[in-house]
Parts: sequence; C-alpha cells; structure tokens
Amino acid sequence: MAYSGSTVHIACAFSLVEILAVLYRQHLCLGTGPKDPERDYLILSKGHGVMAQYACLHELGWLNEKHIQGYCTDGTPLKGLSDADVPGLEVNSGSLGHGLSVGVGLAYGALRRGTTQKVYAILGDGECNEGSIWEALLFAAHFKLTNLLVIVDANGFQAMGPTTEVMDTGSLEDKFRAFGFEACTIDGHDENVLNETIGRLMASSFPGPRAIIARTSKGKGVSFMEGRNLWHYSRLTEKNYQDALAELEMVEAGRGGVRL
Amino acid sequence: MRNAFSNALVTAAEANDRILLLTGDHGYALFDDFRHRCPGQYINAGIAEQNMIGVAAGLAKSGFHPVVYALSAFVPIRVLEQIKLDICCEELPVLFIGDGAGVVYSTLGVSHQSTEDIAALRAVPQVRILSPGDAHEMKAAMELAFATPAPIYLRMGKSDLGVVHTSPPQLAWGRLLSVRSGSGPLVFIATGSMLNLAVTLAQEWPGSAVWSAPSLKPLEIESVVSACSPHRVVVTLEEHNIIGGLGGAVAEILSQEHPLPVCRIGVPDQYSELCGSYAYLMREHGLDLDSVRVKVQAFTKKHPIT
Repeated sequence: MAYSGSTVHIACAFSLVEILAVLYRQHLCLGTGPKDPERDYLILSKGHGVMAQYACLHELGWLNEKHIQGYCTDGTPLKGLSDADVPGLEVNSGSLGHGLSVGVGLAYGALRRGTTQKVYAILGDGECNEGSIWEALLFAAHFKLTNLLVIVDANGFQAMGPTTEVMDTGSLEDKFRAFGFEACTIDGHDENVLNETIGRLMASSFPGPRAIIARTSKGKGVSFMEGRNLWHYSRLTEKNYQDALAELEMVEAGRGGVRL
Repeated sequence: MRNAFSNALVTAAEANDRILLLTGDHGYALFDDFRHRCPGQYINAGIAEQNMIGVAAGLAKSGFHPVVYALSAFVPIRVLEQIKLDICCEELPVLFIGDGAGVVYSTLGVSHQSTEDIAALRAVPQVRILSPGDAHEMKAAMELAFATPAPIYLRMGKSDLGVVHTSPPQLAWGRLLSVRSGSGPLVFIATGSMLNLAVTLAQEWPGSAVWSAPSLKPLEIESVVSACSPHRVVVTLEEHNIIGGLGGAVAEILSQEHPLPVCRIGVPDQYSELCGSYAYLMREHGLDLDSVRVKVQAFTKKHPIT
C-alpha cells in the first residue's frame, strides 16, 4: 500500500502490527460487523498507523482488494490517516489527541447502557504530548471506566526525533498509574505476552481503567527502517520496496505464515 | 431567557433519558432544576473542554443525545477542531449551548467574551447555528434543536433584555422570522441580543420592517431575498464581530442574488479594551441605541432612501 500509494508513515504502521493482530484475533468481539451496536470498539487514536489497520480490515473482509490497491489514489476511500467513514475505523484521527476522548465517551456510554462492550484505544507515545490525552485519562479514572484499555504504541519516536529529545514523557507507566490506571509495560511485538497481558488486565477486578505501555520499534520487521525516523516521512522506491518485502516474507515464513 | 432554556432542557430530558447534559464545570445555579429532576443525566466533565467534546462524540455514537453546555468563549472557540473532526465530520447529534455570547461577561475581560463564534462555526460543514432573540424564541429554538438529530450550536447571549414576541413563534431552519412588517425603505435584520434594540430603533424610521434571524446556519437565500427585496437599504444587527456573522451572511446572499446596500452593525474587528458594565462595553463597541442610530443615519446619507 505504502509503495503503490506512494505515501508516508509506513514506520508508524509497522510498530503496531502485533498489537492489532492480537486484538483482532483474540480479543475484539465484533459481532455481526463494523456497525454492530454491540461490538467492541477499537480506536486508533494514532491515525498515522492506519495502514496496518487497513491490512487487518482487508483480512476481515471489510475492505476488498480494490480498496487496498486504490489506497491514496484519486477518488478512493482509504486516506493517509484514519477516517471514520471507513468500515471498522471508529474515529477521524490524524490530528492527535482526539481518539482517546471519543473512546472514553464510548466506554462511558457502554457502562451507562449496561453492556459488556470493551473499548481498546491505541495511542502513540508521541501523541501523549497532547494535553487532551491527559484530560481524557482524568475522566476515565474519575468515572471508573473499567471497560477501557489504553495501549500506548511506545516506539520511542515522534515526527522530528526520539521522544526523549523532542518532549520526554518519562515513565508513561508511572504517569498512567498516577492518573488512576492499572498499568504495565511489556514488549509490544511479543504476541504471546500481548495476548496474556490484555487478557489478564481485562479480567482483573481493578475498579478503574487499564493501560499497557507496549515497547515497540518504529519500522519493526524491516531492518533498514527500524529505529530510523526518516521512515516517518520517506516514500518507498522500487528497490527498497522489494528489499522490505523480502524481509517481511522471511519473518512470515519463520512464523509459519500466521494470519488473522 | 435562561429560564426558558432551563425549562425546555428539563422538559426534553425528562421525556428522553438518552439526553445527557455535559458541562465543563459551568452553569452554577442554572442547572439546579435539571440536577434535581434528572440527576442521572447530568455529567460534570471538569475543566477539560477538549475531552468533553470527544466524550460527547462517543456518547452520540452509542445512541445518546448529548447537550454540551459551556461559555461560548470556550465552546466552540477553544474546541473548534474537536467540533469539526469528532462531531461534524460524522454529523453526530450533539447540541452545543454557548452561554454568555458577545460581551455578557463584560467585567471579566476578553477571555470570557465571544464575538467570533458565529464566524468560526459558519465555515464548519454540517453544523447548524441557532441564535434566539428572546425567551419565546429560545423555547422554540430548543424544541427545534431537540427535533433535529444533527450538530447544533445554540448561541445564548444577554438574557434579560425583555421579550419581543408574545408567544413562542414557529421556527424553521434557514428562515427569517417576521417581527414587524413594513414597506418603507429600510429593513432591519437582527439576531440574539440585538433584536430588542432593532425593534426600538426601527420605530424611528416609519414603515421599516424588522426580522429576527434565529437560524443563522442554514440561512436560506430565498428567505433573505424575500425579506430584503421590497426595501432600499438593509441594516443587520448582531453582538458579534462584523466579520463573518449575520451581516456577512446576509451580504453574501444579497451581493449574489439581489444587490442592496447592507449596513452591518456589530462589534468592530477589535477586542474590548477596558473593564465595565455590559452597557459600558456595548457603548465601547458602538452597539448602544444612540451609536447604532448614528451609524444608520450616516449610512442612509451615503445610500439615500428617499
């Protein structure tokens, strides 16, 4: 998609592939489809990673091959950033610090309606610069939103450099705890750990919202992208597209071709 | 007018438990009745307006009809992006109440005054804007708002200026409301707090027509043209910047459909400079009766009506 659409933000998408895979495969109750009023909500608040979610929606059958091939071309629905008109995308994102509040509203609404729906909100660590994130965390804790799980895709980078250099958030786990969350930090690329931790947190009797700080690598899976922030903005050439594909195919072969 | 607002809100919320009131820690005393009669439907979202709009979006997406109350200086101005992206892009049913519009909070200074809210929202697709001119229009506006599942901003300005109508009028989206008919050369179109002054001032030009503009967006071309076309000069009045509000909307329509001179009365493109009473600030901005009369006289000299 990134190659055919000649778009940026590919590294932002690669850091949250395992998070999305585990959520879609093992945790999200999607009912009859993207408009089921009883579905769990997956909020991609860091809309810059939306390519990874398009891939999941394609595997679910909610997007077709034509959608994927048309990504970022004239007159097509899949945009470079998350858009709520796409089936399976719950919020408009791209301007950061919006999605979590909408997710908090959905979680609060579900509790009011007495449903068992859960809300999973994926934030970027760079996104945590936004003040509205912390407003939302206060609300979530105050109203004891036990059905909310915040997952921070903590890849350590934001647009202009490492988060420690741009706007150091310090320990996000400590901050989430201080805001009244049950929180832990894990390897965000280890699917087993992700699965176990999400399951444990959502089954816990903690009387408030939960958070996972998922340590990830921006550009994960492609050696020449990992940890190199220029892939926030770079577009793929024919050569590095083929190189990246070869590496990803090796990873998939090593896993026995894991799919959703 | 505030009583009319409170009564309409309580009546609607008692009949529909999907109506939830969110406030950004504002509305002291105003919501006593609501909190007493609909306690489970009152949510104080704290001093955190950005999050409050997102929460309203989430609630609207899951079947509730949120009413977001704040000062108009904060909602919509502080949260314009949340209104655009979280609410209007998806055309969610959220009713925003912007209280204290204009220079109502005269002594508190610019932070609590709102003279740019109409202009800012007029350029946001999907949102509708209501600006009732007295308690009767407020009641009708609230009923219209609750009957319309869409993003709506209801602008509540100075509320104790007296009534113009004798009973709640029939409001329709986009339509001007006739207050006084006349076939003289002048037509006055006012919105919100300026309606009362317009009625008073119009008496000085016998035969003038007076219209209220409770629906600022949409504003129908046909309604504006039919109200203005029998006259020679149009005077618009609003407690809002003269850029981008009622006067701008009327001038946009007339320049294209039926060119007429439009005298736009509003707050000049400036901030309140000094502290003072509401009446003091209205004079500072040239919106008191004497200042407006002088402006209209000067305008009619430039654009003769005889």
